Amino acid sequence: MKPNAYRCAALIVFLAMGVISQVTEANAAASTPSVASAASAPVATRTQNRALRRSVYAAFAKDKAIDAGDIGVSAKDGDITLTGTVGDAAHIGKAAELASGVPGVRSVTNKLTVKRPFGQ
Amino acid sequence: MKRNTSCLAALLACSGAASAQGSVTLYGVVDAGLLYQSTAAASFAPNAPNLGKVYRYKDGGIYASFWGLKGSEDLGGGYKLNFRLQGSFDTGTGRSGLSDTPGVPASFNQFATIGLTGPFGTFNAGRQIVPMIYAMFDTDVRGAQYFGSILTAWLGMNQVAGWSGTSTNAAIGALYDSNALVYESPKFYGASVALEYAPGGVPGQFKGGTRESAVLKYSNYGLNLSAVYYNGHDTSPLPGVAPTGLNNNRFMYFGAMYTFRDFSVSGSYSRGKNPANTGRADYDLYAAGLGYRFSPVLKVTSGFYYLKDNNNSTNHSSEVAVGTEYSLSKRTLTYAQVGYVDNHGTMNQTIVYGQPVAPGKSTTAAMVGVRHNF
Repeated sequence: MKPNAYRCAALIVFLAMGVISQVTEANAAASTPSVASAASAPVATRTQNRALRRSVYAAFAKDKAIDAGDIGVSAKDGDITLTGTVGDAAHIGKAAELASGVPGVRSVTNKLTVKRPFGQ
Repeated sequence: MKRNTSCLAALLACSGAASAQGSVTLYGVVDAGLLYQSTAAASFAPNAPNLGKVYRYKDGGIYASFWGLKGSEDLGGGYKLNFRLQGSFDTGTGRSGLSDTPGVPASFNQFATIGLTGPFGTFNAGRQIVPMIYAMFDTDVRGAQYFGSILTAWLGMNQVAGWSGTSTNAAIGALYDSNALVYESPKFYGASVALEYAPGGVPGQFKGGTRESAVLKYSNYGLNLSAVYYNGHDTSPLPGVAPTGLNNNRFMYFGAMYTFRDFSVSGSYSRGKNPANTGRADYDLYAAGLGYRFSPVLKVTSGFYYLKDNNNSTNHSSEVAVGTEYSLSKRTLTYAQVGYVDNHGTMNQTIVYGQPVAPGKSTTAAMVGVRHNF
């Protein structure tokens, strides 16, 4: 009874938090078809945003030092925002430099911080 | 964060013996706080009595306090020789951390390694933190820290499997392995592999006391993926039991963490068992995490950990932990965290490493502290 209720509560909290955090993405995905019938311009923009985001990650993948598993990249009309963490202070500037070198990137907002290594 | 200590370097230079040394760095962390916990036990024994509420000074709310020396020498051609000596200590008592022999501390219980880095990757030999721990760290929003994380949940699995907590020789998986040879590959489009082999050195028993593990990792597109296979022989033996090469420690782990905007989410599944006697130890662990960074200096992380005994359905344990970290400077942060664990049967999953809870009871803990890097 009590443990089950507790577990349910914990799960609900996690799921709810997960749902909230996914809403923005889900909205973006779900609204795509309806927008497509209304007007074509925003669809192209969304597709372009997504493609640009992928290109930035592809640029990170080519770099030996940058570890992009903890970097969030969001793109909006050529404006890139970098969130999350990198392994070394020198990688903060390096990541921004790589992102701004990607064709189609207009600006880079850098919110990266250094990840604390395990045990440190 | 880690600065070269010029006086130490000068000292070494004066001695003449270290003239070829590229650099030596003295570094470490001091982490201390105050802990309240609603139950307590003197040991990890399955029938340990509840000693009641505890309010105490607690070392290591994020990770252990430690100090170390490391250095490297450029060998040319892209190769570097590295060494690292690192030992944990308790700021409350000044005592050194444990070795793999029950009750015996070691000066360099975390790292005592010599290694080589080059175009081939990295190789380190000696006592060290093993690859499976980094794989868990990469896929846990709570960062496998000492207060309510995948690390304490995995240790909970060890405690119910009979690990007494008086040595670093775990029953399932390992945090540290002695005599380990560890290779880590370079990253190839975000993918990498780590392999470990630790010879046991038991006369007459080739497999006696050996360890072997493999870790696969992927890291790009905001996504970390980890897979772990760990296997150990004669681990966590009872005192006086001679190593025979018995394969009695297996741990498998699959984890993922995704970062988008200021959020991060993680999830994992682990299984730990005694392959020589599954009836003695067979556990599942499910984990989930969610974190949010409010600003570069303030973040909140949370985790949920569910542990169950496949041999005895009355043994199960659920834990939630929430923590916030606020950085006062690049080298100093303060933290506040709370955790709740609901243990059943003989489960005694702790909330914070180093403070046992009463088995089979629900326990709440809260901790505030400061962590400083030097």
